[in-house]
Amino acid sequence: MDKPTLPNLTRGAKLRLGLLILALILPILPFVSDYMLHIVILIFLYMILSLGLNIVPGFNGLLDLGYVGFYGIGAYTSGLLTYHFGLSYWVIIPLAFINGAIWGILLGAPTLRLTGDYFAIVTFGFSELVVLVLTNEIWLTRGPLGLPGIDVVSIDLTLFGGPKWEFVGEIPYYYLALVMVLATVFVMHRIQDSRLGRAWFAIRDDEVAAVSCGINLLTYKVIAFAISAAFGAVGGSFFARWVTFLSPDMFKFWESFLILCMIVLGGMGNIWGVMLGAALLVSLSEILREVLPLLGLPVEVRFLAFGLIMVLMMRYRPAGMLPIPAVAAQMRSGRKKRKKEKPAPGLKS
Amino acid sequence: MTPILEIKNLYKFFGGLRALKDISFSINRGEIIGLIGPNGAGKTTLFNCVAGIEKPTDGRILFTIDDRTASIGGRKPEVVTAQGIARTFQNIRLFDNLTVLDNVKIGRHCRTRANFFGAVLRSKFQQAEEKMIAESAERYLGFVGLKGRGAEIASSMPYGDQRRLEIARALATEPRLLMLDEPAAGMNPQESRGLMRLIQRIRDKGTTVLLIEHDMKVVMGVCERVVVINHGEWLAEGVPQQVQNDPKVIEAYLGRGAADAAQAG
Repeated sequence: MDKPTLPNLTRGAKLRLGLLILALILPILPFVSDYMLHIVILIFLYMILSLGLNIVPGFNGLLDLGYVGFYGIGAYTSGLLTYHFGLSYWVIIPLAFINGAIWGILLGAPTLRLTGDYFAIVTFGFSELVVLVLTNEIWLTRGPLGLPGIDVVSIDLTLFGGPKWEFVGEIPYYYLALVMVLATVFVMHRIQDSRLGRAWFAIRDDEVAAVSCGINLLTYKVIAFAISAAFGAVGGSFFARWVTFLSPDMFKFWESFLILCMIVLGGMGNIWGVMLGAALLVSLSEILREVLPLLGLPVEVRFLAFGLIMVLMMRYRPAGMLPIPAVAAQMRSGRKKRKKEKPAPGLKS
Repeated sequence: MTPILEIKNLYKFFGGLRALKDISFSINRGEIIGLIGPNGAGKTTLFNCVAGIEKPTDGRILFTIDDRTASIGGRKPEVVTAQGIARTFQNIRLFDNLTVLDNVKIGRHCRTRANFFGAVLRSKFQQAEEKMIAESAERYLGFVGLKGRGAEIASSMPYGDQRRLEIARALATEPRLLMLDEPAAGMNPQESRGLMRLIQRIRDKGTTVLLIEHDMKVVMGVCERVVVINHGEWLAEGVPQQVQNDPKVIEAYLGRGAADAAQAG
């Protein structure tokens, strides 16, 4: 990583600052409706989810098809704790994080010895299991009836003699989601530039070389899986308190695939790319929902559109919209430069 | 003085294929020792057994540092690295998508400790450790002659520099024994002379070096002792000139006719 000694005046920093300011003032802009805010919150939620998932395929190079399982676990953790114990959301966030991590370890520790596709199949099976448990353990989850009437998020200061403020409408949720996205980005950013992140990148690039540097593959993969699952669960915990209704079919395999598409579209392994992917796919989904009926097509055709986009991406830009720096650099330098470099080895040293 | 590495009656089978048979030799502290043999002789298999990538079928590998002897045969590779054995690979294995500096920083992994919480909270300890990692990584880059090139992407470097980078990464694990698998492969004469100087400097710093090499100029130039294996069996051992003229070795490389001719001459 190039240590940024320059003040934050680079183009990327300016862009990020601009986007942050836009995000902060968005709800008070005159043309922004509640519907639009709802969509942006959805984008934020998927940003958290795809940033979390990104750890496994993006940072470690492992295919994970069962991410929605952890999302569902987090959502039901949040929903049930609210339903039965009336816990405050601020307590639920860390609990959901821990519960997600626990399930990540429970699934990851025995299965991360598997390689490639075999591991992907296990994760896929896990997410199906989660849906089955949510559907059939009626005593706990009320099964297909779903979990209605979950309390909204509130800031309760009555303990200190203050007021109790409940989140009504989209605006408070908007800022809550924004804070959660920023926190997630913060954590990802720090991990990326640490011993832990480097170990993951090493595993992604070459497992044999990684063990030869003293990296214990299983340990680091399990850590990755646990942290990824924890962020999925946190996303789920927000979802539960935002829509205030849960049902098992919200956590079908399709969701895992959608989040994976966001990562691939945006740029696997790149934090900003992953967020861009989430924004693009959620917006596209909403636009298609409006446009397709006008064309006389059923709304479900949008899934076909996603498939088409993925095929086109794989053909023309396999590294995503915003690839990781190394790939981006290679794409910039292109063929010409590499040809020029070829005769050079040997002249150095 | 006990040798730093002792290989005793090592066997390795891949199913019915016998890759190594009853190999025994030892490496003394501070030595540069060459491991040679025709293609397919089992040199890399032997490396992999010592490094923990392959599990030996039978036999013992003893590694001694500071008068403490550990049996490392069959240990996991990350454990072997932590014990103090580092290696490079025949077909360069760098972390292609990372910068040169990050490649070396990853080599520091087994000598550092910061975890998830350190990374997120940036504790004092973690910050100090990161600083140390960066500084020592720069030092190792300088040592192999890649000073100031830390920001480049590893895969975009010329071949010879990638070899050096791999050595820097191996050195970053602070090995007592460094194993180089054909470090001069694909290098031009000038580069391999640079490499020979580098190997000598590594030894002068107190690291024992074991190298597999096909380039006889390099073997004869730096190795103090050479072990020859053929068809997975120990064939000869001795100083380079002696081994070079050994009829058994000539036969292994060039066939019986050449060996007879050499003896007749």
